Amino acid sequence: MSTVVYSARRIITMNPNLPFATHVAVRDGRILGAGPIESLKGWGKVEVDDRFADKVILPGFVEGHSHAYEGGVWKFPYVGYFDRTSPDGALARGLKSIDEVVAALQAYETKMPRDGSTLLAWGFDPIYFGGRRMNLADLDKVSAARPVVVLHSNFHVLNANTPVFAKAGITRHTNVHGVVKDEHGEPTGELQENTAKFMAYKAAGVELAAILSDDAATWGFAKVAQLAGVTTATDLHNTLPDSTVAAYLAASASVDFPLRLLPAFAAFSMPPDEGIARLKELAKKNNERLRFQLVKIITDGSIQGLSARMRWPGYYDGTPNGVWNVGPDEIDRLLLAYHRAGLQVHIHTNGDEASEVAIEAVERALAAAPRWDHRHTLQHAQMADAGQFRRLKALGMCANLFANHLFYWGDVHYAKTLGPERAERMDACGTALKLGVPLAIHCDAPVTPIGPLFTAWCAVNRLTASGRTLGEAEKISVADALHAITLGAAYTLKLDEELGSIDVGKRADFAILDDDPLAVPPEKLNDVGVWGTVLGGRVFEAPRV
Amino acid sequence: MTAPIPFTVIGGFLGAGKTTLLNRLLAGAEGRRLAVLVNDFGALDIDGELVAKHGGDTIALSNGCLCCTIGDSLVATLLALLERSDEFDHIVVEASGVADPGRIADLATLEARLHRDGVIVVVDADDVQRRAADRRVGDTVLRQLKAADLLVLNKIDLADDPSVVRTWLDGQSMAPVLEARHADVTLALVFGLDQHGVSQSDGNPKPFRSWSYSWPDPVDRSALLAMLDEVPSHVLRAKGIVRFADSADRRSIVHMVGRRVDISEDGSWPGDVESRLVLVGTGAMLHSFERE
Ligand SMILES: [Zn+2]
Ligand SMILES: [Zn+2]
Repeated sequence: MSTVVYSARRIITMNPNLPFATHVAVRDGRILGAGPIESLKGWGKVEVDDRFADKVILPGFVEGHSHAYEGGVWKFPYVGYFDRTSPDGALARGLKSIDEVVAALQAYETKMPRDGSTLLAWGFDPIYFGGRRMNLADLDKVSAARPVVVLHSNFHVLNANTPVFAKAGITRHTNVHGVVKDEHGEPTGELQENTAKFMAYKAAGVELAAILSDDAATWGFAKVAQLAGVTTATDLHNTLPDSTVAAYLAASASVDFPLRLLPAFAAFSMPPDEGIARLKELAKKNNERLRFQLVKIITDGSIQGLSARMRWPGYYDGTPNGVWNVGPDEIDRLLLAYHRAGLQVHIHTNGDEASEVAIEAVERALAAAPRWDHRHTLQHAQMADAGQFRRLKALGMCANLFANHLFYWGDVHYAKTLGPERAERMDACGTALKLGVPLAIHCDAPVTPIGPLFTAWCAVNRLTASGRTLGEAEKISVADALHAITLGAAYTLKLDEELGSIDVGKRADFAILDDDPLAVPPEKLNDVGVWGTVLGGRVFEAPRV
Repeated sequence: MTAPIPFTVIGGFLGAGKTTLLNRLLAGAEGRRLAVLVNDFGALDIDGELVAKHGGDTIALSNGCLCCTIGDSLVATLLALLERSDEFDHIVVEASGVADPGRIADLATLEARLHRDGVIVVVDADDVQRRAADRRVGDTVLRQLKAADLLVLNKIDLADDPSVVRTWLDGQSMAPVLEARHADVTLALVFGLDQHGVSQSDGNPKPFRSWSYSWPDPVDRSALLAMLDEVPSHVLRAKGIVRFADSADRRSIVHMVGRRVDISEDGSWPGDVESRLVLVGTGAMLHSFERE
């Protein structure tokens, strides 16, 4: 039974009895204690390890809302606007114009086998190109023979080249929702929603979902999380087919797997009685690095996808209200069933009408089956106002807010979807904390990159990509933001007694940082480097590329 | 290339009777191998007598039909199904209670192996107006009605005054309306089960009629479209093989479900034959509807 004591420049514990320390002792993968070295020596013989002597140690970050597809998408080239780190630690440079995207794809295309196979890329976002949209001609420059499909960063829109359109027979006469046409009625090359999804699957082969969650993808996800200091992350919507379960079990069986993974079972994928039985069966296979315990219900779409369910007065630009993926009656039925079974349910709600429906469903479930400490959590809850947060608090619910949205889509929300007033108070972290709602903040990777320090930076500074500050009053302190990405997120996953802070008996999960996030200026929080992580006492250094 | 597979979508709000209609179809689809995709997990409530064996997410039925749950993705399930398209003659999707069935039918337009047949929306005569007035789901209900090619006004026996709901429905949708109890519609008519659209009554509750037309000379396209535009409301379908004057060397397939007309070309005109068009519908003969 060996005991290792790590010295550090500073240890930020999230434990109010001992908020800061210089040493932390680890035994059997758990935290034996923190404090000055003298107070730890009483535990017996210790081995002092000074490799983190100039580093800052925090509890390992907890990403409460991400998707393991983040590990799979890297099998395809990334063509986004912002720099992004791949699982092997290499930086994929952001592409700052459509011409740069085309050039990058041309270079990639020349290395592909000459077999007519499809070139699929992801992460593209045209909102930063001053109104210029990608068109057929752009992608025909990549290849006039091979199908080329570029998925946008929201995964609901894509661009394709002429071979794709020709094969599908899409012309000016195609009268189908989601085929974008120019002022002359000709298809531009952009496809949206169901149409986009259909063409993407056709292009990539129907095995796309399997490719995105196989063994390699699972490892890729764990690595990309590790690079960001994350030791626990959710895969927050998965139908959990046998192939995916097998990949998760195999990966998590290895002590080298650098993540505690929590998949959330997609409630809509089977009748609730079967789903509950399946989840309880899967939970028997839980191990230290894999935990089946969460349930997810998706209600509406997304705000920027114009598919969020909003209360009056709806979209700022007059777009009609969005769509239900699961309607109010079904939300009630699913929630009640999983609630009765004693499970914790995470409910995707973007628009405020969706949040309202979810809150009322929990209210009814509690009336029908009173239950303490259920911690049903609204995921995103981007438009929730003070009244809805008061109801969350009263009902014992939690909120995991999509802080990264402020940066990536804040400008669009301000100008088009929500308008200034509601954009200023979207993802209202300040209100949630003021009203005592348990709070986490998230990235929803692969929609935005996984990186809790960046997510914390968003909640602290509330800056959009163009530099506008959205909602001074909703800013939170760095200390509160760090809590939200550690113990706060752990609370929303019912893991707060086990991890999320550096405290006696908890798992030895740490984020090892190059700098002190409490000492750097708040606007530099996202520049703090991540050296790597410690998971259950095992050290995982991030690769330097 | 083999002929494209007809693709039908059944839509309608929760409780309207979509599954009842589906079960009638499965029980009555003699000699027709259906593949049914069910988007509403709770609704895979298939008549036990039909079930032959289980296999993963798919249930094979004793009459040669096949049922599967859509699970996470309609798109992925549909594409996987198309890989075994030799096993069936017709695909039917039961949309979820909040889905826009028109958007699902769009997929058939994008897929050469499919032919978009009808969007059938089942309506609860007793409940639809209350649902349509609900601030959270009203717009969803109205979108479904607008997407319909044919409306099945179900549970008509439960409506306080059927004429009230009929009048209201006429204001919401252009689609012809079939009244029904327990979804007892003429299946062949609603689903176009007879490939050529020509068949006598199949003995189901509401016998249907057909009227055929033929033209020895090439047909003026706009005249034919105008004719279809003016058919009486009890004409529900049309199917024809037509030689249009503006493309006289081509064989054009005319297909109408409700008031939606699709025209596609599928080859060259086979020489000395007449253009033919068949209308199918319910009710009386077409007195006022004279042959062109
Ligand atoms: Zn979501
Ligand atoms: Zn998500």
